[in-house]
Amino acid sequence: MKKTLVLFGLLLLSAGLFAQADDDLSPQRKQAIDSLALEKVRDLSKYISIIGNKDTPWSEAQRVIERAVELFMPGSEMGVSSLSRPEVHYYKIREYFDRLMQLNYDRVVIEWYKIQYVSDLERQPDGTYVGVITVFQRFQGYDKEKGLIYEDTTKKDITVYVKRKETQIGGRLIGFWDVLLGDIRVKETSK
Amino acid sequence: MTTIVSRLKSFGWQQFVIVTLVALVAVSFDSCKSSGKLTRKEKKAQIEMYKQKMREIINGTTKMTLEEQERAISDAINKHFGDNELNELILQAQQINKAAYAEQDRIREEKVAVARNKLYDLLVNKQNLSADELEEEMNKIKAQNLGNSEIDELLARLETKINDMRKSASLEMTLKTKLESSFQSIADASRSGNTSMANSLIESALNYFTAPDVPVLIIISREGSIVDYDKPTTINSYLNFIKDQKESRNNVDSYRLDTAGKITELDLIKK
Repeated sequence: MKKTLVLFGLLLLSAGLFAQADDDLSPQRKQAIDSLALEKVRDLSKYISIIGNKDTPWSEAQRVIERAVELFMPGSEMGVSSLSRPEVHYYKIREYFDRLMQLNYDRVVIEWYKIQYVSDLERQPDGTYVGVITVFQRFQGYDKEKGLIYEDTTKKDITVYVKRKETQIGGRLIGFWDVLLGDIRVKETSK
Repeated sequence: MTTIVSRLKSFGWQQFVIVTLVALVAVSFDSCKSSGKLTRKEKKAQIEMYKQKMREIINGTTKMTLEEQERAISDAINKHFGDNELNELILQAQQINKAAYAEQDRIREEKVAVARNKLYDLLVNKQNLSADELEEEMNKIKAQNLGNSEIDELLARLETKINDMRKSASLEMTLKTKLESSFQSIADASRSGNTSMANSLIESALNYFTAPDVPVLIIISREGSIVDYDKPTTINSYLNFIKDQKESRNNVDSYRLDTAGKITELDLIKK
């Protein structure tokens, strides 16, 4: 009976510790996950410019696509706009990257800047933190002979989901923050 | 002959005898000094001097060390002045000197006991001190000059331990430095557009690890016992990540090695 009580106590204690690790985030820890989510968006911007770069070998681009896809929640979509049409097309993430790789330009330059939160990460009832990060994307498409033939700037909103998970590595219980990006919505497009 | 006799008669014998006597007195005084005999005046002065020294020892106002005090007492005894008051003072000074020696021994024993305990703690490194911190503590004990063979032996053992710690820290530092420099080289090669060089550096870096799928954990926050990590990855993915992002954002925090000295687990931390 005593043993059962001790075990029960230990279980309660460990559950309490995990709950503490998850629920009451100190400002320092909150700052760390805020930065982590922003970093994932910056990582994506680098992947997009590698995939869009015509100098990137096909196999390398495929490898980078895999890495970029890993950043997203399954089923996420990317909005694509153009100055030549009013509507925004939404593609599944992998399809978007495949299309990006095959764009009909001789050279493509994609740059993301002003990456910042428009809506801070907020804890949801299921423990997931959800926020929105906005980015500005400058797209430039070049022709070998004509030079720059298309250019636009698009403001995009990215929903980010951050959840604390646990895994066992080398006998250690590791608490990590899983950051996943959701849909990327086009907010405005301009020249 | 008559001339010689008359010359001898005319010599001032009275003056000769006086000069000779004065010379003899002078010589006898001189020989008295060189044979260590003192004049009464000098003896009195010396007795006063030793009395003064003994009083200072008794009153505790002397500036002499215990050894110097002991020598002074011994000197005073050996002079055999036969002065009752001085003899009494000598006896008192001897007692004070002995007591002071005993006190000195007691304090030294106490210090030895404290140093011994401290050295045993340092040898097991209870407080997990660095080699430099251990050396600082060791030097404090050395500076006490306890002159105890057991303490000297413990100091020697501690010195060996510190040297061993430094050797292993330098080995560890070498691997940490090598890894971090390797990460930076991959980022630099990629930034300069030299992808094949970056790939070749990735291959070289993988040699430090048991396998390309060795887990890599990146610490994003450490607060007391709570450590937050980024999503776990593998070393192969991480090295390619550095190449893709063209920057090395993390430092090596810790790692585990197998018996062949290859890394089986790597923890990184945000720079």
